[in-house]
Amino acid sequence: MSAYSQMRHGAGVALALLVLALCAVRNAPAQAIPYERPVETAPQADAIGGGYQTPAVQKPRPRDYWLQVLDVMALAALMGISVWLVLKRRSRKWLVALAIGCLGYFGFYREGCICPIGSLQNVVVAIVDPKYSIPIVVTATFVLPLVVALFFGRAFCGGVCALGAIQELVVLKPVQVPRRLDRALGWLKYVYLAIVILFAVRPALGRDFLICRFDPFVGFFRRTGTPNMLLLGGAFLVLGMFVGRPYCRYLCPYGGLLAWCTRLARRGVTITPDKELDCGLCAGACPYGAIEEMRAVGRNCLYCARCYSSCPNDGELARAKALVQLSGAAPS
Amino acid sequence: MSEDLSRRDLFSKVARGTVLATLAGGAGFLVKKANGQVVWQVNAARCINSRLGEVGVEACNLCTTECVVALSAVRAVNEYSKCGRCNICPAYFNITSAVNEEGQPSEKLCPRDAIARKPIGKADPEDPANNFYEYIIDEEKCDGCGKCVMQCKDPLGLGSITLRVRYDKCVNCNSCAISRSCPRDALMQLPVEQALLSSVLKRTG
Repeated sequence: MSAYSQMRHGAGVALALLVLALCAVRNAPAQAIPYERPVETAPQADAIGGGYQTPAVQKPRPRDYWLQVLDVMALAALMGISVWLVLKRRSRKWLVALAIGCLGYFGFYREGCICPIGSLQNVVVAIVDPKYSIPIVVTATFVLPLVVALFFGRAFCGGVCALGAIQELVVLKPVQVPRRLDRALGWLKYVYLAIVILFAVRPALGRDFLICRFDPFVGFFRRTGTPNMLLLGGAFLVLGMFVGRPYCRYLCPYGGLLAWCTRLARRGVTITPDKELDCGLCAGACPYGAIEEMRAVGRNCLYCARCYSSCPNDGELARAKALVQLSGAAPS
Repeated sequence: MSEDLSRRDLFSKVARGTVLATLAGGAGFLVKKANGQVVWQVNAARCINSRLGEVGVEACNLCTTECVVALSAVRAVNEYSKCGRCNICPAYFNITSAVNEEGQPSEKLCPRDAIARKPIGKADPEDPANNFYEYIIDEEKCDGCGKCVMQCKDPLGLGSITLRVRYDKCVNCNSCAISRSCPRDALMQLPVEQALLSSVLKRTG
């Protein structure tokens, strides 16, 4: 055996021993090894070799600006459709369809953001805080429903507002809230509006956006939320089965602004006086107490078109009657 | 009667015009001031999980628990160009767990098993310690709990993983729920383009 092969032999034995020792360590009662960082610098693609390419870090962008603009245009268009459906077509059926569509899009798809109700706070902050600015789409979201209200009343509330739509759809067996109680509770929304503004105009550190924090339905729209949030939303929906749209009528601060604008509206839902038939079916059908002494009160009217659909001289009922008369089945 | 009606009509016309003018003026003021969208982002220099020197403390998971979005809008993001691609990655493995027969810690660190590990480059099966490994975080599984971020920084790691707000998930709340509860005030609002850069994520300062 040459010295060289002896050395190799020795090296082989040593290596075998080392492997054995390592195995022993590995098979020994398992224990964490003290960790040491193996590298000081990040290896780059050329050092790694094998044709490796560093993967790109994904950077998802927020919703595209043109899509946001499209949302605002959709808001305007849907309010227009709402006005047309209620004032011209006088169709409750189609309004409900519109409400379902808007609830699906603005509510569940867009997850309740942005909405004119919440944008109220951003507008207030942007007006008082010189360092705070809001995108144009937010300003437009805030202004558009008010402009519509100045001419046609609260068309936004009818079916376009997701918070309104979700309540509109759960109205089951509405009770007429006693007029005086209804009026008193109606003041709450102005109190809430004042509180919201007070919290919004505070300096940046103490600022708070109460409308968003206490939005009762956004938890449903996002299919997640704190138990308190979901409980509050559930409570509003259950209450809403028996008291029509409690949030819109008594709490919505933006509803307060819309009500003010509606006082100046040129047109809106009206109950035409009729000498022969002042039956009052419409007043009974209105779950929101917006028909007083047989006349529609614009500022409280939430554009649901129930009055028209319940009117024997109007809407679907009237069309059915006309059809019956045309076919000659009705004695005339 | 008709005179009264026309006076009321005139009044409402004037009032409507006034309100319209006010709205238009206000909107004009706000539009002039408009400065593009701002979005929330985690300031890595403040976040406990990524801030240098914050070692030996529990990882903070408020980004997971506080966010209003299901599974949070915050994700652990691995900046691949800064990743050490270690064999034993302290963010992938729970390095305090027992060593198994393959010479690796027996437990993974991520509670949701969101990190995938695969050998890259010229892999030598005989010499795992000197191989490179790629660690890819599955954003569908990650909920931004920050455990891996806490481990992947000096002295254990190189600090390639940080918590970041993901804008395909974030709904950009006016008052971010995470920011309200973050003990280090690490959430900040930035213009979109800045918030997307990784250079805003300095570790010190």
